[in-house]
Amino acid sequence: MRVRDENKEATIRQKAMEMIVEEGFDGFSMQRLAKAANVSPATIYIYFKNKEALLNSLYHDVHQTFARLALEKFDPNSSLESGLWLQWKNRMKFIFEYPIHYRFYELFRNSPLIQLKDIKESGFKEAMKSFVMNAILRDEMARIEPETFWSIAYGPFYSLLNFHLLGKSMMSDQYSVTDEKMKRLLKLVLKALRP
Amino acid sequence: MENTDEILIFKTNVKSEPDQERLREIFDSIPLINRWNVDTDDIDCVLRVVTRQVQANDIIRILTETGYQCQELE
Repeated sequence: MRVRDENKEATIRQKAMEMIVEEGFDGFSMQRLAKAANVSPATIYIYFKNKEALLNSLYHDVHQTFARLALEKFDPNSSLESGLWLQWKNRMKFIFEYPIHYRFYELFRNSPLIQLKDIKESGFKEAMKSFVMNAILRDEMARIEPETFWSIAYGPFYSLLNFHLLGKSMMSDQYSVTDEKMKRLLKLVLKALRP
Repeated sequence: MENTDEILIFKTNVKSEPDQERLREIFDSIPLINRWNVDTDDIDCVLRVVTRQVQANDIIRILTETGYQCQELE
């Protein structure tokens, strides 16, 4: 009788995510994962029926982790400024604490390989939606479509953070963000969002 | 529930869609098999069977009699 072993499963998951982030999904195989995780291929198949199932399960986990951190102390009724600041802080926390998760998330966020119907809603989407609606109703921001909102509210944040993750920018060989730099960016973003 | 079921894993040469179709006809007639799939992406064409009572040897016998190779993966 084969018994499920949670530690083993966690090792397989972690190794799989690392391999996919480093080498992409095309060259990824259950056989190579088995070698890298130091388990037999049969062991991997106990937990996952094929590599697509594994990918979806990993994505699901990563999304849950992201949502948990993003929603920490977050109140959808808070002002646009403090709510957006907390979102940036929470998202930075996720990115710094789970760098592999983040890269994995970025790779597959819009991938056709991910079956979104399998993703359990964590309340994340609802909270974000109501946060934006509240800001519009309070006249703190312009009535714009969600994609435009995201582009203005998070686009600059991820761009600046990306320089930090690269450790350099077009102007300098060394770059890192600070709360101060982020706050300055936030001020500009809020200006752009005004009605 | 899968937790109380046994998962059997085999290396096979069930590669093509018609091969899988043939297997489907056989496995569908065995109610003790809860779920199964063949990972045709894998070089070992891994067959995964979720069952409560069917033994690995039974699966090997069924596939071999149908003309396929089948070997339990440890």
